[in-house]
Amino acid sequence: MANTANVLAETRSLTRRFGGLIAVSGLSIDIRKGEILGLIGPNGAGKSTTFNLISGFCKPSSGSLFFDGEDMTGKSPVTISRGGLVRTFQHGSLMRSMTVRDNILIGAIGALKGSRRNERLTRVNETAAILGLTPYLDEVAANLPHGIQRLVSIAIAFAPRPRLLCLDEPLTGLNQTEVGTTLEVFSRIRRDFDCTILLVEHNMKAVMKICDRIVVLHHGQMLATGTPQEVRENESVVSAYLGKRHGA
Amino acid sequence: MIRNKHVAMTLTVIALAAVSLFVRDAYSSNLVTWMAIAALTATSLRFVSLIGELNFATAAFYGLGAYGAGTAVTLLNLPFAVALLAGGVVALLVSAVFGYITLKTKGPYFLLIGFAFTEVMRILYTRSDWLGGNSGMVGIFPPSFFGAYFSTFAVLLCGAFIVLLYTIERSDLGKVFMAIRDNDNVVLSVGIDVHLMKVACFCIGSFVAGIAGALHGFANNVISPGDFGFLLSTFALAYMKVGGEDSPYGPITGAVLLVGLGSLAMRMGAGEHVFYGAAIVLAVLLMPKGIVGLAGVAASLGKARKSGKAGNAPQLRTKEGRSHG
Repeated sequence: MANTANVLAETRSLTRRFGGLIAVSGLSIDIRKGEILGLIGPNGAGKSTTFNLISGFCKPSSGSLFFDGEDMTGKSPVTISRGGLVRTFQHGSLMRSMTVRDNILIGAIGALKGSRRNERLTRVNETAAILGLTPYLDEVAANLPHGIQRLVSIAIAFAPRPRLLCLDEPLTGLNQTEVGTTLEVFSRIRRDFDCTILLVEHNMKAVMKICDRIVVLHHGQMLATGTPQEVRENESVVSAYLGKRHGA
Repeated sequence: MIRNKHVAMTLTVIALAAVSLFVRDAYSSNLVTWMAIAALTATSLRFVSLIGELNFATAAFYGLGAYGAGTAVTLLNLPFAVALLAGGVVALLVSAVFGYITLKTKGPYFLLIGFAFTEVMRILYTRSDWLGGNSGMVGIFPPSFFGAYFSTFAVLLCGAFIVLLYTIERSDLGKVFMAIRDNDNVVLSVGIDVHLMKVACFCIGSFVAGIAGALHGFANNVISPGDFGFLLSTFALAYMKVGGEDSPYGPITGAVLLVGLGSLAMRMGAGEHVFYGAAIVLAVLLMPKGIVGLAGVAASLGKARKSGKAGNAPQLRTKEGRSHG
């Protein structure tokens, strides 16, 4: 495998077929340490399948996945998560009937196996403070506004202190203020905890603002990659999103 | 707060045991024993429901506990305490294998497998001559020093296990179980082995069901395959639903009430089953949170009225989301 010092995770010719449908085809991407990498594409481009493949929730038909130099191809989500790669889900990434404290605690339990309860609670309180969730710790998650629920989802995934945090459309349904707050949280997590972030998102303004690099998927294949500026000016990207006439 | 709940629960058990000391006639004393066993069985069913599964194999593990204890006492001549424990351990060991294989399924599939397993076990007992076949086993007696106080012992033992299950439910392990019920993918995504946790929950619940079954053997002195059919799981479900599954007091309340009323309904013959079926239907339709849930709402309404704040509507959902106890 081609592993450079600053690559945290990489996929090599990753392919996933569902019967006759090829959801992801020969995808090779590098995720560099400390970056925020955006994964974008129209609906059905294969973003969610790529996420499932990287996090172990879906086994690849062929190709390989490396995380921190270790071959993680075909490994279970538990093994991959314990290795330091944690993901969120597009829909319902939290336990609705539990309090925010207990939600974050589940994330802490996964990472602090065999630790004392106090250590886990300290981790919960720290995580809540980072994400601005301290006032909501005793609230039942289902009773909270959508924006706070999204932050709780991120808090659960961040509680194990992953080295690679994969966020599946974390900004969906948020208003402009909430988007701003959440983006600040991402920047803080990256800066203070040396956490790399892989972000699948439809909010292009936010993606262009926060991502260091962007990978564009189309029909399960990589259409383009580069800095936000390079991707914005890429003609095939514009035509994939807006149609050929606009792109021409 | 949590500690207070434990103290309250322990005191309730001690109070019930003390009350059982004054129940002197044999029929009522037996009734108390059956109430305690029913409460423990329903609590075991509720415990497995923490991971979101309805465990219809409860009857199978209850039966394994009864046959385990029966075999230990009548065939192996082991002491009472060892036989009681053996009942739980047999159920635990079988549940570990059964759970590991079957807990990869969920919901109705798991329920149906549990139902089938219960029936398979019942038929296996009838075909096993060394276990007495259709006639079952006789002579499963508790030590004579219990005398008329076996019911008090049953209440104390069942109460201790109910408190133990509640302690686990309130621990971080219990929170993992509940998180699995809510969203197993999230639990998996943070590195917790969901399958292993589900098997652990199932094994604990089955061990307790085994203990309940062993007590059944000692309380009845005779066991036969017909005692451990799927109806037993249905009864446990009725106790849980009528009492209220959100609270640990729910299965206890349901068991005491339905076993009490059931003793009256026994005169109905086969109509007894109609009675339990009707109890489940009425409870689900009229009191979805059971008697304990209804009592909780009534208490909140009373409190709100007392404080005179019309806006203080009763909170149906507590911090824990489920527990009103």
